[in-house]
Parts: sequence; C-alpha cells; structure tokens
Amino acid sequence: MISSSHNADKKVLEIAELNEEVRKLKSEFFEARSSVQQLKLESTLREVVAEKGLVPSQNPPRKIKVKSAE
Amino acid sequence: MAITEKNIMNRLYLVAGGLLVLAIAVVVKLVDIQMVQGEKYKELALSKTEKMFTIEPNRGNLYSEDGSLLAASVPKYDIRFDAQTVSQENFENNVAALSDSLGKLFERPSSYYRQLFRKARANGNRYKLVARNVGYLDYVRIKQFPLFNLGPYKGGFIETHRVVREYPLGKMAARSIGYERVDENGYYTRVGLDGAFGETYLRGKEGKRLKQKIAKGQWKPVGLDNIVEPKDGLDVVSTIDVNIQDIAHHELLKQLEKYKADHGCVVVMETETGEIKAISNLGRTSEGKYYEKLNYAVGESHEPGSTFKLMSMVAALEDKVVDTSTVIDTEKGRYRIYDGVVKDTKWGGYGKITLSKAFAVSSNVAFAKIINENYKEQPEKFVNRLMNMGLHKKLGLPIIGEGDPVIRYPGDKGWSGISLGWMSHGYEVSLTPIQTLAFYNAIANNGEYVKPRMIQEVREGNKVVQRFDKEVLNSSICSKETVKKVQQLLKDVVEKDYGTGHRMYSKNFSMAGKTGTTQKNYVEKNPDKLAYISSFAGYFPADNPKYSCIVVIHEPDKQEGYYGADVSGPVFKSMAQKIHAISPMVDEVDNRIKEDVELDKDYQQYYAQVQKKYSTVPNVKGMSGMDAISLLENLGIEVEVHGNGKVKNQSVNQGTNIKQVKKIVLELS
Repeated sequence: MISSSHNADKKVLEIAELNEEVRKLKSEFFEARSSVQQLKLESTLREVVAEKGLVPSQNPPRKIKVKSAE
Repeated sequence: MAITEKNIMNRLYLVAGGLLVLAIAVVVKLVDIQMVQGEKYKELALSKTEKMFTIEPNRGNLYSEDGSLLAASVPKYDIRFDAQTVSQENFENNVAALSDSLGKLFERPSSYYRQLFRKARANGNRYKLVARNVGYLDYVRIKQFPLFNLGPYKGGFIETHRVVREYPLGKMAARSIGYERVDENGYYTRVGLDGAFGETYLRGKEGKRLKQKIAKGQWKPVGLDNIVEPKDGLDVVSTIDVNIQDIAHHELLKQLEKYKADHGCVVVMETETGEIKAISNLGRTSEGKYYEKLNYAVGESHEPGSTFKLMSMVAALEDKVVDTSTVIDTEKGRYRIYDGVVKDTKWGGYGKITLSKAFAVSSNVAFAKIINENYKEQPEKFVNRLMNMGLHKKLGLPIIGEGDPVIRYPGDKGWSGISLGWMSHGYEVSLTPIQTLAFYNAIANNGEYVKPRMIQEVREGNKVVQRFDKEVLNSSICSKETVKKVQQLLKDVVEKDYGTGHRMYSKNFSMAGKTGTTQKNYVEKNPDKLAYISSFAGYFPADNPKYSCIVVIHEPDKQEGYYGADVSGPVFKSMAQKIHAISPMVDEVDNRIKEDVELDKDYQQYYAQVQKKYSTVPNVKGMSGMDAISLLENLGIEVEVHGNGKVKNQSVNQGTNIKQVKKIVLELS
C-alpha cells in the first residue's frame, strides 16, 4: 500500500519532469527553426550575398541526368 | 402580595413556554438551513476549500508546406532579480561579470546593468526586472551567467513565463496566417488561418483538475479521478510555400512603393490542386508605409474590369454567338448603348479587328458590342451562362470574411438596359481577387474548376490525423474547344506585339494572362476622385501551366501610371520568373557505351593473371606496360620502366624467386 503510493508519487514527478523537458525541447525547436527559416528566406539571402556581388539567377539550374546501363 | 404556590407555577409555565418557543425556533431554523438552504451552503463551504481549476491546453502550431513555422505558441520569459537574498560576497564577486554578459547579450553597455543591480541592491528590491520577453535560447544562456547560475536562493534568479503566440515570418502574410483572440465574454475574434482552424484543430481541449486549499493560499491537487486531461491542439500544415510567399511579399511591396498605391494583393495558386502557395495583402498607412492591413484577396469584392472579359468571352464562345475570328467594327472607339458610351483607351479606336485581337488589345467597345448585340433579346441567357460557371457563388474559403460576388440577374435591383454592355468588360459585376483567380485557374486547368485550398493536413506530432485533397467545384466549366481557344487568347496578350501585356514578354519563359485597368469612384464624375485598379490575372508557363497568379493594385498614383501591365504586370512577371528560375531544367544524356569485346578480353586475361599466386617472377613479356607494372608491383617488386607500349624485355627472368628480387627494369616498345 505504502510502496504503491510512493510509486505513484514517483510517477507523478517523472511525468512532470518529462513534461518540462517536452516544453523545453519544443521551445528550443521553435527558436532554432524560426531563426533558420529567417536566414533561409530569399530576401535575407539576397541582402547577405549582395555584398559579395552575387544576385539571384535569372535562369533555372540545368540538371543533367546521365542514363547508365543498369 | 403573598407568594402562593399557584403564583409560582404560573410564572414557571411562562418561562417554560418561552423556552419551548425558543427551542422550536432554533429547530425550525436548523431544519431550514440544513434541508432547505443546505445545498447552497454546502457548495459555499466547499468552494472555500476546494476549487476546480482549468488547465489550458497548448495550442497547435501552424506550419507551411515545407515545415516552416507560421504560428506557434511558445513560452516567453521575464527575468527578475532578488537583490536581498544574495550574499554580499557573491554579489561583489559576480556583479561585474554578470553585467558584462547581459550587456553583450542585449547589446547594451555593461555599465547600464551594473547600475541597475547596484541600485536594486541599495533599495533592497526583491523583484527587479532585468529583461522582459526573453526567448527560450536566451533564457537558457542567462541562467548560466555568473551569479544567476547559483540559482534562486543564492543567486537571486527569478523567472516567470507565459505562453504567447509567435509568428516567425513577422508581418509577412500576417492577415492570412491570422490569429485568434478571445475577450472576457468568450467572444472569439478569428482572423486568417489561425482563426479559421482554431476551433476545429488548433485549440485543443481544456483540462480540469480539482484542487484543495492548503496553507499560504496555495492549492494542492486532489485525487486522480476528477482530472480531465488537457488535450493539446493539433498542428495544421497549410499550403503556403514560404519561399514563394517571400518573393510575393517583397515584389508587391516594391511595386506599391513605386506607384504609391493605396493597397494591393497577390495570390499564387497551384493550378492542378488549387493549393494557395502565397497570399500577400499590403495596405498603406498614413505615413506611406505598407503592412498587412486587411485580407484584400479574400475579402474585397470589387469591379474586376477587363480581367472579366475572359468570362464574357467564354460565355459567348460557349453559346457559339461569336468565334475568335469574328470581325468586329470598333467604330472609332466609341459605342453608345442608350445614354451610356463605352470607350476604348486608344483614341480613335482600333477599326475593324478580329475578336482575338480585340481581346489582346482589350477593346471595351468590341466586348460591349458582342455581348450587348447578341444577348440583348435574352439577357438572362448570358447571366445564366455566368452563373452556371459558378461566378455568383462564394468559394467557401475557411478564412472568415470572404467577399460576396455580385452577378445581377435581369430584373434585379440595379439592372438596366446598359447592364449587359457594362458587364461584358467587368463593370456592374463584382468579384474578389481570389474568385477571379479561381476562374483563371480553371482555364489553366483545362476547364476543371478547383477550389482554392489553404490546408494540407492536420497532424498530431508526426502522425497525420487528416489529409485534405483537392476539391473540384465544377469538373468542366466549359467545353474543351472553348478552353483551347481562350488559352490561346491569353497567350496572345503577352506574346503578340500588340497585346496589352507585351511589355512583360520574356523569351526565356512563357506566361499567359489578361490585364485589367478598372476605373474606381467614377460615379461622381470628378476627375480628382477618379482612381484606378490595376490588375493582372493569368498563369505560367503558358503551356502546361503549373501556377496561376493574380495581382491587384488599388489606386496607384495616376502620375506614375495606372495600366494593369505597368503596375501589376511586373509583380506577376517576377513571380513567373522566380518560379521558372527555381525549377531545374533536366537534360537527359544517354551514356550507355557499347561493350568493347577486345577490351573485355584483355581485361579478362589480366584478371586471370592477377588471381594467380606467384612465388616466382611471372613472364610479363608481351603484356601491356600498364598491366605488367600493376602485376609486379602487387607482388612487392619495384619496377622501372623505359619507353612505352608492350613489354619487350624484363631484367629479371621468369621463374626467379620473388624474395630474391628487389627491382625489375622493363623495356617497352
């Protein structure tokens, strides 16, 4: 009886801890993801590479697909 | 008066009677409180010691198609400092380092923080605000700073957090991503996708938990079975493509600024599926800045002007009253219907032209004439045709506030003898940009009218709960022949040198569409108030279109220009250009070389030689130099070569024990 009650207490603490961890990971994901997606945006990239004299291409990249025997 | 026994008894009865009445009154009141009002008081008593608490669920996130975050609920932290709990020693040792670290993080002079802490210390402030609205990553860093890393008691570190809705894209697509707010009366303000999908998916379910009052005003949870677990909201993946959205936003902004326009919008839609890839709405503030003010694309129903000529054209072709080759006399650019005069922009008109050219040059007269003359006996036939294509119906978008389309029926209020003529080129009718776009998309999609869609799937973690597929509103709005004809017409607008959209032409990529320059506020006939709506609706590439797009810009500065092709066209072109530039062109090269029999034989011979185990030097005469070298070197012998070709001579003869040989000189020829 007593041990099972302690067991339950332990579980409750564990759940609280895990919930906290989930929350932290979620926030971390959010912050990392939003900064990455901000950096990834073409408008941001364009500003960054403009200093180096680069501009977005007017023409699409060409992909050359080589068919092989297999 | 003598005290008699009777006298005493009388008094006694009086007292006893009084007591009895009192006792009865007490009992009555007791019963009243216990039985009659019992429920109320029991509840009151309980509420002082026990209370049901609601546990707020976490709201789901809103993602873009590629998994970028559009809206998410995250905790934000406020950092405070308890200046009393810290020991003098700890404070003096760490305050400088702490101030430096904070200064660096928040880009403020470190002296600012030093003063802040010293002052708090001097005043004995136990709750001094250090930083507000700190994100999680910064919060973790601050926690590791000197002094603060000692924890709440020794370091005086206090944090409070609350959950806020964050929009990583900032002001981009703000109206379409939207938000949901609830006021104290439980009334929800619902804007954009966040509002539209709030109730069904994002909100989640509140949890309930019974708590008991304990010492110091704290509440302790009671029992296990009374709890209703909170259920977190589901995540919604929208169809928005962040990259296309980014381009749309910036291109529109550039053009609005250039033309000092009042407001404008761009919508990009995937032709086949109806997925909205980008939706941008910008309005001008009194300072001349632009921001996402209202969802014009969804909400603003306006007279479409010349972009509506496509609808008239489809109707006329379907009824076979004209063909694209029909020749129309545009009569010097003026055409009178009762008291109204339809005018062409070109002074003097276009003369006699075919209908396909009339479409490309966007002649109002030609369209007023064909529609008015062919339908004036039975105007309902024309209107029915438009209605059969679904133009009078809302699209039923999830975003709240879709504008009402207006297509009047003969006999309706506002219908008159000139209605047909004016409807033919987009006046006396009203559509929202997204409704116009849906129609153009149907033409691009060979007649299949798909509903513009903004939601792709609903997820719980990584598990897909619900997927949304394309919705077809009308599998065929018109015949295949008509579609083919008008597709050609839309192409001509850009490709033919007389087309109104020819300025946008590019030899690198193709597009098709229709310009629109609509007059606005024309009723008063006041030239100062007269304004324009410049639009361009179409799709790209012209053959096998992938995306359709509409650009509508309201009230550009007339001095700068107002034609659809000048104001809205460039935005459309940039979208087409950009999407063209990010779709790789694939060239296939056949690299299957025929097997060389001779070569294969050589290789097989060499391979057989290599497979053997040698304890003596093999005969390499007659072998090619290349093979001989690799064979000998693999045996651990140093090889020196003179000349090239096949081996003529080897300095060590065949059969010599390998162990005795260090080096072989080969002569090739």
